[in-house]
Amino acid sequence: MRQLLYIEAYKLFRQSRTYYAILALLFIEAIVLLSAYYQGTGIIDIVLANLKDTFYFKGNLLNGNLIIYFILNSFWFHVPLLCMIIVSGMLTTEYEEKTLQTVLMQPVVKWKYLAAKYIVASLFTMFLVLLLAVTSFMLSYGIFGEGDLVVYTDGLTFFEHDDAFDRLVYAFLFGSLSLVFFSVMSLTLAVLLKESFKTWIVAALFLIVSTLLLKIDLGSDVWNQIAFFKLNNTWQYFFNLEIDWKAVMINSTLIGVYTLLTMLVGLFIFQKKDIG
Amino acid sequence: MISCQQIQKKYDTVRALHNVTISCKKGEIYGLVGANGAGKTTLFKILLGLVTADSGTVEIFGDGAKKIGGIIEKPALYSYLSAHDNLRLFSKMQGANASKQTIEASLEQVGLPLDRTDPVRNFSMGMKQRLGIAVALLNNPSCLLLDEPFSGLDPLGIEALNQLIFDLAQQTQMTILISSHIIDVLSTVCTNLSIIHDGEIIQTGATSTILTACTKGYTLCGPEIQKASFLNNYNPVSNGNCTTISASAIEISEIIFKLSQQEIAITSCRPVLDLQQLFNPKQQ
Repeated sequence: MRQLLYIEAYKLFRQSRTYYAILALLFIEAIVLLSAYYQGTGIIDIVLANLKDTFYFKGNLLNGNLIIYFILNSFWFHVPLLCMIIVSGMLTTEYEEKTLQTVLMQPVVKWKYLAAKYIVASLFTMFLVLLLAVTSFMLSYGIFGEGDLVVYTDGLTFFEHDDAFDRLVYAFLFGSLSLVFFSVMSLTLAVLLKESFKTWIVAALFLIVSTLLLKIDLGSDVWNQIAFFKLNNTWQYFFNLEIDWKAVMINSTLIGVYTLLTMLVGLFIFQKKDIG
Repeated sequence: MISCQQIQKKYDTVRALHNVTISCKKGEIYGLVGANGAGKTTLFKILLGLVTADSGTVEIFGDGAKKIGGIIEKPALYSYLSAHDNLRLFSKMQGANASKQTIEASLEQVGLPLDRTDPVRNFSMGMKQRLGIAVALLNNPSCLLLDEPFSGLDPLGIEALNQLIFDLAQQTQMTILISSHIIDVLSTVCTNLSIIHDGEIIQTGATSTILTACTKGYTLCGPEIQKASFLNNYNPVSNGNCTTISASAIEISEIIFKLSQQEIAITSCRPVLDLQQLFNPKQQ
């Protein structure tokens, strides 16, 4: 299994499309930073025009923490989308170029081969989040400096710099679980659909529908709690004044369970399916 | 040794294989001939474990972790990796020795240069076929399946691959099963043939016997072949220095003898097969 993991990682990082995806993510991050740099001050001034007269804010409100928060907000569509494209390609290109046939003509255990792909895909997704987190923190603090974080959820909430830093780190950390789920889902879709374009379309559809359903009230507390698409905004819990750790842990466990189930379904289908 | 008994396979309502039975002995080069869509590739996929048969049994005898290796249709390799990297990757995934010496020995075995470090996508079809065979041979399988290995190869490539197949069977006593519709090539390497039509094996036997039975004539070539007036008795069709005649295997011996007596030199004598009879005898 260790060899299979090494091989999957090796193949992933020997393909140019992986680097295109990483560059695309960094490019989007740069755009968010640039737009914040040129337009951010104006927006903040409008939002906080009255409050600035009443309260004392430490540092500039358009600071690194707010930019990282902007980046986090913009994360939850294009990052999973790119992850899904890259990760599903780990299998669809093997179907299309028939290298999967060559692999399975060797004495390789079928389900272990796919399991290695799932594990490497999950680690790769975590790596992307880490890369984005590190570059976000470095560039945002480097360009915009430190300061208190002001966010608008139910109302305006203010966090001191150190507290804001911790909350942003937690948001990246727990948010990455959702991304792993989407990556694993895209690989399972690849098992079912085999073709790149079909898989991309269905994966994008899945992501769009999940994002839309996130905003919809299902009319039942239980479903609002356990439906997978309701778990994708768990990272937002870290920007409530009091972090509801119990809810965060339940949601994270549920996402873990969904991820595992999606993986098991993929492994079961792959094991049963002919490679022809 | 490869043995499959009563293999049946359907794709939805389409019958792909029906009661297919084949047996190849150790060290034998066995040919499977059939038109496109006859079921050759499906049978190979079943033998290689890629597709599950609806019923029937497959037995592959051999030692070691890998009993059988093969190529289906075209060699499928990681095009962005070099030949060395492809071999190393495929070796590692099956726990085989992936040392530099072993990889180089594999490349040498199939006649590939050791100094090519560029991606496989730059390779010619012949080189990809050779690399595909090298991958199939990793971990020393006792059986090798080659599905249409000659398609896309130029005459030099075909000759070289033929020699490689022949050497493998001779030197390692490997059982080799080849499917193709290039009869000329199969007839030179295979000792036995099976003809598959519409998912059924319709004929099995010695290559020479099967091909002789389907020979409807011969093409004789020579600079003075037009002078042989007695060939007019055999419905001749002339084309430059070559004449195609309708004659049986027994008659051709007599014809060549007569040509020799009349001092008419011939440069080649090629059988003309009745492909309809070979591939699809039921419609005859």
